[in-house]
Amino acid sequence: MNLIAKTTLFYLLVAVLVFGIGGWVTYHVVKTEVTKETDFQLYDEVQDVANDVRDGIPIEILRRRKVGIEHLGDHLKIDTFYRFSDTLAPHPYRAGEMEPYRKLEAVKEVDGSFYHISITDVFIESDDIYDVVVEILWRLFLILGVGMLIASFLVTRWLLTPFQRILSSIRGFNIKQPEPLDLPATSTKEFRQLNAFVSAMTERARRDFRSVREFSENASHEMQTPLSIARGKLELLQETQDLDQEQLRLINDAQNALRRLSKLGSALLLLTKIENHEFRAQREVDISAVVNACLDNFSELAMLRGLPVKREVQPDVGLAIDPTLADVLVSNLVRNAIRHNQEDGAIEVKLDKQGFSIRNTGAPPSIPTADLFKRFRKNQQSEKSMGLGLAIVKKICDTNQLEVGYDFQDGWHEIKVKFPINV
Amino acid sequence: MKLLIVEDQQELVDNIQAYLSRGDVVCESARNFAEAQDRLLSFTYDIVLLDLMLPDGSGLNLLRLLKRMNPETGVLIISAKNALDDKIKGLELGADDYLTKPFHLSELNARLNAIFRRRRLQGHTVLEHGSIRIDTDTREVTVADQPITLTVKEYELLLFFITNKNRVLTKQVIAEHLWGDDVDLLDSFDFVYQHIKNLRKKIAIEDSEEHIKTIYGLGYKFTNR
Repeated sequence: MNLIAKTTLFYLLVAVLVFGIGGWVTYHVVKTEVTKETDFQLYDEVQDVANDVRDGIPIEILRRRKVGIEHLGDHLKIDTFYRFSDTLAPHPYRAGEMEPYRKLEAVKEVDGSFYHISITDVFIESDDIYDVVVEILWRLFLILGVGMLIASFLVTRWLLTPFQRILSSIRGFNIKQPEPLDLPATSTKEFRQLNAFVSAMTERARRDFRSVREFSENASHEMQTPLSIARGKLELLQETQDLDQEQLRLINDAQNALRRLSKLGSALLLLTKIENHEFRAQREVDISAVVNACLDNFSELAMLRGLPVKREVQPDVGLAIDPTLADVLVSNLVRNAIRHNQEDGAIEVKLDKQGFSIRNTGAPPSIPTADLFKRFRKNQQSEKSMGLGLAIVKKICDTNQLEVGYDFQDGWHEIKVKFPINV
Repeated sequence: MKLLIVEDQQELVDNIQAYLSRGDVVCESARNFAEAQDRLLSFTYDIVLLDLMLPDGSGLNLLRLLKRMNPETGVLIISAKNALDDKIKGLELGADDYLTKPFHLSELNARLNAIFRRRRLQGHTVLEHGSIRIDTDTREVTVADQPITLTVKEYELLLFFITNKNRVLTKQVIAEHLWGDDVDLLDSFDFVYQHIKNLRKKIAIEDSEEHIKTIYGLGYKFTNR
């Protein structure tokens, strides 16, 4: 339930309460007033009857249905008084129904004679007052309710539209986006405050994220120079005379560890650069040529590992991508297929307009296949692998809206990159 | 060979100098753009080893200056930036080769020698080592005046050995030189041994000396004896 609906409902509940109490008050006020007016009326009528008697009109004529008059006697030593009372009497036309009446009894002295005058009048029933009050309030409540619904609709429509737009802006926010969050301008003070707050927050998030990325890029980059120096020193050490086998082996092991570290650094650097969108020279690349060149490059290594490569490359397949990334993408996949292969294995490469697929034999994956594209996740068997190759492939595909999938069946691993359909 | 190393990392310069000074290479160094400019204006070098990322300017500008003043000087670019753009731009501007940091000093040595042969001696050069003669122009190899036939890999291997004679070359370094960085994809470098074995056989036919010394479990060393 949205804010306006809740507010409306709350107001309606308050209105029910107010109308309830208001109804009760109205009922009593009206009832008191009606009683007062009726009493005045009866009192006036008693005066009229008394006047008529004074004017000499015989009491038999004055005595009617509502008016009772008795001559009590002359020069009595009694008090004159008025007494109001409520009573019920049968309805004049509807049999069996009783009606409330207001009755005024009075003893009045007219020119020395005393009369007992009683007047009854139909009294407005409290039921009727109740009905009227309820009727009025019910209609008012209905009008109020409809009014509030219309008002809340308008409020949602006009007042909250900027808020909705701000929300959808925030929803579309991506911490990696290169430009600041675009928030719609609004004249409402609260929304302006919200905008200021949200834009400050997202800006800070973006800045922090950027500095983290820049840090990892710089760290990977700066790492290379000291590594280079260390490797050079080891090579010089290796050249010194009179080193025994064991010492040479230690140097070699250190060299190997440094090589891995330096390769790791460049792979991370590449990954960060792709993430930072530093490869933006997107243009139509002849993917067929890239694949063929890459397979030619690796053919010797594949041969040395005894892996026949079956090539099914359709010519002139184009793809809009940065040429460097195209190269990295294909070579990483080919590298992967060579590395994670087996004795007497094979590789099959297929390229057409739909996509690029590379299949290779190999042991079943030892980790959940969903994790294969994550950083540093790798099959235990290949210790030389760093577990970044497929992460790079995934990152390239993600940044270029390509779909990449993995499948393992009957001893064959298959990685498929789906190309977007050219319209 | 007279070499200018343009590189801001002093320790890297030290490494290169220490490694190359064992051969007949005279090394000078410049730490920054300005210093390199001064040296290039005052002296002539056979080869300039150029880092593209300098604290006070781009190595590419230095390359332009050098090619305008002294087009005969060979240039080997070294850079930690393995960006394809820089590589292509550098080669377009007339650099002879490109080496990405980090690199093996033996690889650097081999590349420098290759440039030197091409540049300084206009490609007509004959390398001699004992009774082995290599004409790097025609790629002909003779042992004691008898021509021998080598495969492309064996030829490159022999050349790599001779330019790095008396230095320890690990199997890894040899494999990377012959097959590139991706050689890590292979489980073992036993195939290096195959090539060494074949090469040994071929150069030993006419020459009784054993040039290629095995350092067990590590690599090889090409010696006079």
